[in-house]
Amino acid sequence: MPPSRFPIPQGTLDMMILQIVSLEPAHGYGIAQRLEQISRSVVQVNQGSLYPALHRLEQKQWLRAEWHESETGREAKFYSLTAAGRKQLVVEKDSWARLAGAVQLIFDEGKR
Amino acid sequence: MIRQLTNWFRRAELEGGLDRELRYHLDRRTSDLKKSGLTDDDARRQASLELGGVTQIQEEVRDVWLARWLRDFAYDLRFSARSFLRTPSLTITAVVSMMLGIGAATAIYSLVDQVLLHSLPVREPARLVLVDATKGEQVAEGFGSWNLMSYPICRDLDAQKQFFEGVFCRALTDVNLSTGGDYHPTTAEIVSGNYFSLLGVGPALGRVLTRQDDGVANANPVVVISYDFWKTQLGGAADVLGRKLIVNMHPFVVVGVAASTFRGIDVGEVPSVWVPASMSDEVIPGGYTDLRHSSTRWMQVLGGLNEGVTLKQAQVGLQPWFKAMLQKNMNEAGFPKITPEQMQEYLHSSLLLTAAPQGHSGLRRILVQPLCVLFAATMVLLGLACLNVSGLFLARGSARDREIGTRLALGASRGRLGRQFLADSLLIALTGGFLGAALAPLAVRALVAFLPKNTAANALHAGVDTRLLLFAFGVSVTAGVLSGLAPAWQSGRQSFLSSLQQRGGTAFRGVRLRKVIVTAQIALTLTLVVGATLFVRTLDALMTKGPGFVTSSMVSFRLAASRNGYSKTDGSRLIRRIDEAIRNSPLTQVSAVAGFPLLTGGSWNNPITIQADKRITTDHAVNLNAVTPGFFRTMGIRILAGRNFDERDARPSGEMGFRSAIVNESFAKRFLDGRNPLGLRIGGGSGPDVKTDIEIVGVMSDFSYRGLRDESEQAFVPFLEAGSGDATFYVRVRGAPESAFQTLRTIVHNVDPTLPVMDLRTLDEQVSRSLNTEHMLATLSGGVSLLALVLSVVGLYGVMSFVVTRRTREIGIRLALGADRWSAIWMVLREALLMILAGIGMALPVVWFLGKLIVSQLYDVKPFDPTVITMATLVLGTAALSAALVPAHRASGVNPTESLRAE
Repeated sequence: MPPSRFPIPQGTLDMMILQIVSLEPAHGYGIAQRLEQISRSVVQVNQGSLYPALHRLEQKQWLRAEWHESETGREAKFYSLTAAGRKQLVVEKDSWARLAGAVQLIFDEGKR
Repeated sequence: MIRQLTNWFRRAELEGGLDRELRYHLDRRTSDLKKSGLTDDDARRQASLELGGVTQIQEEVRDVWLARWLRDFAYDLRFSARSFLRTPSLTITAVVSMMLGIGAATAIYSLVDQVLLHSLPVREPARLVLVDATKGEQVAEGFGSWNLMSYPICRDLDAQKQFFEGVFCRALTDVNLSTGGDYHPTTAEIVSGNYFSLLGVGPALGRVLTRQDDGVANANPVVVISYDFWKTQLGGAADVLGRKLIVNMHPFVVVGVAASTFRGIDVGEVPSVWVPASMSDEVIPGGYTDLRHSSTRWMQVLGGLNEGVTLKQAQVGLQPWFKAMLQKNMNEAGFPKITPEQMQEYLHSSLLLTAAPQGHSGLRRILVQPLCVLFAATMVLLGLACLNVSGLFLARGSARDREIGTRLALGASRGRLGRQFLADSLLIALTGGFLGAALAPLAVRALVAFLPKNTAANALHAGVDTRLLLFAFGVSVTAGVLSGLAPAWQSGRQSFLSSLQQRGGTAFRGVRLRKVIVTAQIALTLTLVVGATLFVRTLDALMTKGPGFVTSSMVSFRLAASRNGYSKTDGSRLIRRIDEAIRNSPLTQVSAVAGFPLLTGGSWNNPITIQADKRITTDHAVNLNAVTPGFFRTMGIRILAGRNFDERDARPSGEMGFRSAIVNESFAKRFLDGRNPLGLRIGGGSGPDVKTDIEIVGVMSDFSYRGLRDESEQAFVPFLEAGSGDATFYVRVRGAPESAFQTLRTIVHNVDPTLPVMDLRTLDEQVSRSLNTEHMLATLSGGVSLLALVLSVVGLYGVMSFVVTRRTREIGIRLALGADRWSAIWMVLREALLMILAGIGMALPVVWFLGKLIVSQLYDVKPFDPTVITMATLVLGTAALSAALVPAHRASGVNPTESLRAE
């Protein structure tokens, strides 16, 4: 029996972060919570790998960061999508769809 | 990459941000967990468990900020700096080596860049071409010289719009110029009206010259002055526009000041004023300029190619036009009579375009080879410095064996250790490079003083610009990497087990590599020493030979009366009056006048036709001069046969041309094939219609005309009345020559106060000026090879001391077993001798090959001269052996008992 929660596939974390931030600007903790909710009990995100990923995306200028007051009234670092990031998200979604489609094709081949 | 580099400088800010971000995460998670019912402690523990190790996250994020290698490298540098501070003597030696190498290379490069490489500060310098014709075109006249063209050619070419955006012409000349007070000789550039617009040079004030200025001949007496001239001679006056300048006694109106960055298109000759070609009669008196005939060549023609047109296309495309012009010229009145062969050659000449992004420069022609030689020499010196640093590091590497062994044992990778060595050498090279670049301006200033012309001093700058800094940086990094290679490679071969097993300080590894390095150093040094010896011998030979005339107590100066409005007749009368006044001065022993100055690099020259038993035409131009009868006595030049000039040579009034000539020995030897020259008749020119009506009345001894290397054929004629108002005076004075300067000025001033006295100097100074290039080569190559010698001697000493230290035990045992002290000394010396001989053996073929490249810079010495090679080898061998003698002596002093106990 497979484990109920499996580790997030390599390379998809960036895509998921971009997707979450594309809805509205969010801080690190918020993104972590969102990931948790969306993928509840299916995908396990190691919170420790979230921050290096965020900084990597900021370095690539797909994300932009600003310090804002958060919902609790404390200053937090909010990430939002840049134009380049938006483009990247489209590219990643597209290639994900193609990968998933290709995998599905191979599975279907086996059934026949 | 750039972002990562800048991140390095905002580390603190980034770290702070990450801290806050992570703390926020933890706090929020803790408070959320507390809300779900956990106690404060449990919530905190749970939160940090979920997040994972903060330190690890920080490390990972740091890798994002700065690439791993970059961070490691920064730490390596820091580590290097610390370890260097612990060994100051080694550090200083290494840094000074690098500083000397990089500083010397940067200084020479500064000149190479300015004289040879720098493009003009004009629009699109890459599209500039120099228009010239192959040699045959000049055969027709024997007038004009290197790459000169005529004004009409320029006009015609300017109309070839399918190839050129435009074509302009220009000529540099000296004028007598007054801003209201005294007259001073000044450089002027005569330019066609489109000069400024084609170069894209604008005014700093007023306007630049336009096509309208260059319209009707003699109608537009306007000048544009250079920014420097405006600032220094006119005090930067705001009301300069509309002011009157007197150029050769003609009033000109200042209409503008050229942009401050623009200093003409000749490196080393900065014009003070620009004058339209329409005014060339006023600027070059004497009717040498001609704006109508395409056969009168006195200007340089440069064009800006159209975008997309290549030089080749333009050159091929313009040939039909050029050929047509040759044909047309031949049918023009006044075309000289020429032989059929000359006609063939003339009609076969073709148009030649040369890329001229750096403009044109006589200075460049003179300096290309010497500068390249010096640059190569400094590069070799830099190579030596790198080898020295390599050697030092290898030595240090052996001393650090245990440290390195330990690091290997603790798991450091060999690559990582190699990088540490590279960081070491880079740090040294960059520090040395920084110091070297800081010293370079001083060195450049000293270098400029060696350059052949006064003008070079104000045309070249000693400042450090971006290009120079980039060069210094590039060279430093390269030097750093190169000098780190050997130690890095050595460390990679090390086995940590053996190094830990070994007893401290007796490591042997690296010695062989160090010996190779020292051998290479000796080889490089020998090539430099041989080069320097050759240049010193050349200078010495030229100085010993001398110009062939007396120089002590001699003073010379030049007058150009034609620029002060004198006609030829009035001018020569003036010269005669001044000549008389000088001869009557109590200060004068003897004095004479020559039409053209000696030892300035130039001459009056023309092919000659000789009427002997057959007609002989010289295959190249003979150097000519017109002198007064006293010339030979004044200069101490002997008349070997025949007679001196006297009254008999004066021509009756109304007759043109000369009646007699005195030729030199070389002339007789070269052209007359043993015939007696006396009584033969010669004439100027090489055409079939040349009249040979000048009688050779005497033969003079050979002496230098253009420069000290000059051994040319010469023919001198008498300096006549109605000859010219431009002359050079040669005066042998009583007492110190410098003390006569004021008297001579006063004599000229009394005759005509507006006449500037030019180039007033002693002949000794004139000689040393004409030897500037040789001086520069000898002094600088000597300096470079002295530094090289020091570097390689230090290297050899280092290795030999190391060898002696390492073999102390062995030597001790040998001595204990009865070997005598001499054998200990010999043991060490033998090793040194082997390296020295191997180095010399390696160098000799290189010297043989490189020698061929510098032949043209040498005088009276063969590039592979056995005496020179022997001398250089002896100097190097002696220095190197003395360096080895010190450790050898130490070896002989080893105390057998102590050396064994020390273990």
